[in-house]
Amino acid sequence: MEDNTDIFSLGKYGLKLAQNKSSNMKCAEIFFGKNKYLNIEVEENSVKNSEIGTDRGVSIRIIDKRGSLGFAYTNKLDKKSIDKIVNLALKMMKAGTEDQDFKDLPPHYQNYPTVTGLFDDNLRNLEVEETNEDIEDIIKVCNDDDLAISQSANFVSHYYKKYIFNSNGLEVNGKETICTISSNITVKDKITGETSFGYDWQAERQKMKLNATKIAQNALEDAKRNLNRIKIKNMKAPIILTPFGVISLILSPISSAINGETFQYKRSFLVDKRDEIIGSKFLNVEDKALMNGLAGSSSFDGEGVPRKNKRILENGKFLNDGLLHNSYTAGKEGIENTGNASRGSYSSIPAIGPTNFIMNPGDQSKQEMIKDVREGIILDYTGDSPNIATGDFSGLILHGNLIINGEIKESLNETMVGINLLDLFSKIDAVSKEFKIFGAYCAPYVRIENVQIIGAAH
Amino acid sequence: MEIADELTIFDEELITKLNQLASNKIEYWDIKSGVGTGTNLDFTDQKSKEISSYEIRECGIRTFKNGGWGFTVIKDLSNNSIEKGFRNAIKLAHLTESLGKNKFTLKERDPLIKTFRINSQHNIDDINIEEKIDLVKYHEKISSTYSSAIKNTRTFYMDGHSNSVFINSFGSYIYQDLSVLRMFTLAYAQKDGILQRAVNSVGGIGGFEITKTEKASKLSEKTAKEAIELLDAKSPVGGKFTVIMDPKLTGTFIHEAFGHAAEADTVLNKESILEGKIGEKVAIEDITIYDDPTMGQGKKLNLPYELFGSYFVDDEGIPSQKTIIIKDGILNNYLHSLETSSRMDIAPNGHGRASSYTARPQVRMGITILEPKDWDVEEMIKDTKKGILCQDFQYGYTDPTTGNFQFKCKLSYKIENGERKELMRDVALSGMTLEVLNKISAIGNQDSFSFSDGMCGKGGQGVRVCDGGPFIRAEDITIGGLG
Repeated sequence: MEDNTDIFSLGKYGLKLAQNKSSNMKCAEIFFGKNKYLNIEVEENSVKNSEIGTDRGVSIRIIDKRGSLGFAYTNKLDKKSIDKIVNLALKMMKAGTEDQDFKDLPPHYQNYPTVTGLFDDNLRNLEVEETNEDIEDIIKVCNDDDLAISQSANFVSHYYKKYIFNSNGLEVNGKETICTISSNITVKDKITGETSFGYDWQAERQKMKLNATKIAQNALEDAKRNLNRIKIKNMKAPIILTPFGVISLILSPISSAINGETFQYKRSFLVDKRDEIIGSKFLNVEDKALMNGLAGSSSFDGEGVPRKNKRILENGKFLNDGLLHNSYTAGKEGIENTGNASRGSYSSIPAIGPTNFIMNPGDQSKQEMIKDVREGIILDYTGDSPNIATGDFSGLILHGNLIINGEIKESLNETMVGINLLDLFSKIDAVSKEFKIFGAYCAPYVRIENVQIIGAAH
Repeated sequence: MEIADELTIFDEELITKLNQLASNKIEYWDIKSGVGTGTNLDFTDQKSKEISSYEIRECGIRTFKNGGWGFTVIKDLSNNSIEKGFRNAIKLAHLTESLGKNKFTLKERDPLIKTFRINSQHNIDDINIEEKIDLVKYHEKISSTYSSAIKNTRTFYMDGHSNSVFINSFGSYIYQDLSVLRMFTLAYAQKDGILQRAVNSVGGIGGFEITKTEKASKLSEKTAKEAIELLDAKSPVGGKFTVIMDPKLTGTFIHEAFGHAAEADTVLNKESILEGKIGEKVAIEDITIYDDPTMGQGKKLNLPYELFGSYFVDDEGIPSQKTIIIKDGILNNYLHSLETSSRMDIAPNGHGRASSYTARPQVRMGITILEPKDWDVEEMIKDTKKGILCQDFQYGYTDPTTGNFQFKCKLSYKIENGERKELMRDVALSGMTLEVLNKISAIGNQDSFSFSDGMCGKGGQGVRVCDGGPFIRAEDITIGGLG
């Protein structure tokens, strides 16, 4: 890989070139990304494929005084390629429409917060052989179980480097690592012939924190819990969401609904609800970028803006500044940038996204919460998602079980849930102290009272 | 023959060198490499949000030994990088093989030495950026000004031109020069606190002519109209109903609920409801389902371009062909890749596809169709005492091990005594695939046939697909609602 000095000089060269070629340019930004990855795939409970890859590329955004944006990218890092993308971006910019809402790209920042634990040297030059133990552990869990008939699993590790330069003098770079282990196990009931699957995954910055055996065991338990599926009759009953269920029905929709752009276009069910109580007192949500060692943490966002921690919902109240912005949406509204620009790679312009998105745990034990339910459901996975514009959710409970007299019973077949999210939020009546971290999400168990459940039994 | 400069590196000399490096070490290798350029336009409320252009080159090297695969991805097309990547891939295949318990060989297949080109009427490289922007502006204007109830619009245009080379140890050399185009329009309508969204798209393999068909020209008008219509639609009530699915929904059902289970890698991984059922009756006699991604179908449908899900050859060098999955209710064949066809001892049928040159092929669908039969649509509706006519789909998903599926459809009409009554929105249908295939009570005729384009996701890879069929009627389907 080219060393750093090439990148710095290419960056400055690109910005200067853009300036010289366009008298109408207001600002420009150049982004370099480098990535090395490793991916081991297990299929049919056996190692199937080992893959290593590299990627590197550069993109440029140029905005003129009318506010028109041109963007171009390529994956060759040399002067000739920079020439090419500058010319392309200028061409696009000239052809675009004006946009008076565009204010400016971010300024130069003197200081960036320190966030530790985002880089594991062991992952920088990870060899395939070093994953053998984890892979064998995961395969063993499926082999050792009578009911398990197959497993698909993955070990993936990434090493990223990013460099951002803009014409306002912003200059920042950083490196990070992340590794993930996932397991999907199929089980079969030998007597009935019924099959089901279970799934779990874990993402960490440090390799040693991955626990392959535990992930496979969780997937196996999940699969077994999903056997003995029955159809039920319609009912109105409490639902306990597992942490995975909380992510799909509470955290993920909220993070989409508070996206500054979605909000400004009024495509969010939370529009006009700032400073209002939208849920019970148990609903506390934060977006925390500065947590050491977590998968969603970073020191700067996709445009090089220093990150922050922020509160979104407090005791059910949607805070007035509980929105996520990038420089464009913050500029449009005339408020301080929240540092939530997200950019997956050099090949896209910055969008908006959360960092570590957390629903704060509560006081109750998960056991107590379940014991209190006379007749209800525990929901883990829906495979569907709410309509962010309206907050309506109507979907299949793909993984869920009945709770009868405080005990988890048969799993559900062809059962659907219909509810509006604002209704769901206000009906939260218990939150567990136990929580689970799934990558950049952190969620407890949550109980919702009185939800309409549609069953397929006559 | 014209070859893109960067791809001339894949010559006899290199191929000979690679075969030498491979000999006695691995049983099979292939390399896919491409250079691509393209344009993306994203407009909201008649203003440009993103106007972008790109140029990239990529290469994926795949190796195989006795059940184990290796794969390396490089972005630099030089002799050195390719050789180094190849040596690494050999090492990776060995490592995989040493840990893998599943041992099998790959049967040798016929090599293919051919060039495939798409001859567009209006080559996207010859259309200047201003003309592409004018097209998007035209659509934005139509939807934005359609009605005061339209609050927000978005039009997204993307085109891409790629040149690629495929070579493998069977001796294939396949050169392709393809271009793809897709356009989306979105509209949000609002009235009395209700917000509704409609989306439509058009796409194909070809050039700018794809934007000039009647369907493409009227795209934004259709989207705005649908968003407005949905404002008056009621929330559905849950229960069990007789359902008439329009071709779009029929296509979704065949693709989502059934198609994935017919992918042979899913079968081998014990995640398919169709495992072990070849030769068995899985549906009523009137059901025939096939997957046919061959080129040349656009013409048959009076389109000046090729269908979005079509291809000349899959990403393992096997020519596309028609595969009959279910014939007259009996499960006939799965969709195969080189690996699955070798392991099941059957001829490959060209379904080993990858989302890009840097992704590993998996078994994927192409153009999945339910064959029309005999019913006239209006008669089908008249014949239904109590039911729901479901039109167009938003999205769908399936649990592959059980066949439990759910689809959200866009618009639905209640049917009472053979007549369309009130309009409903967000109707969600769910059921069990194999049960539904046996509860089909009417299949529409050729006149009612239609298809749609989309991107299908599996294992993190998105590939271009089409699906379609006639109107069909199914009994006893669970409908979900908010009430």
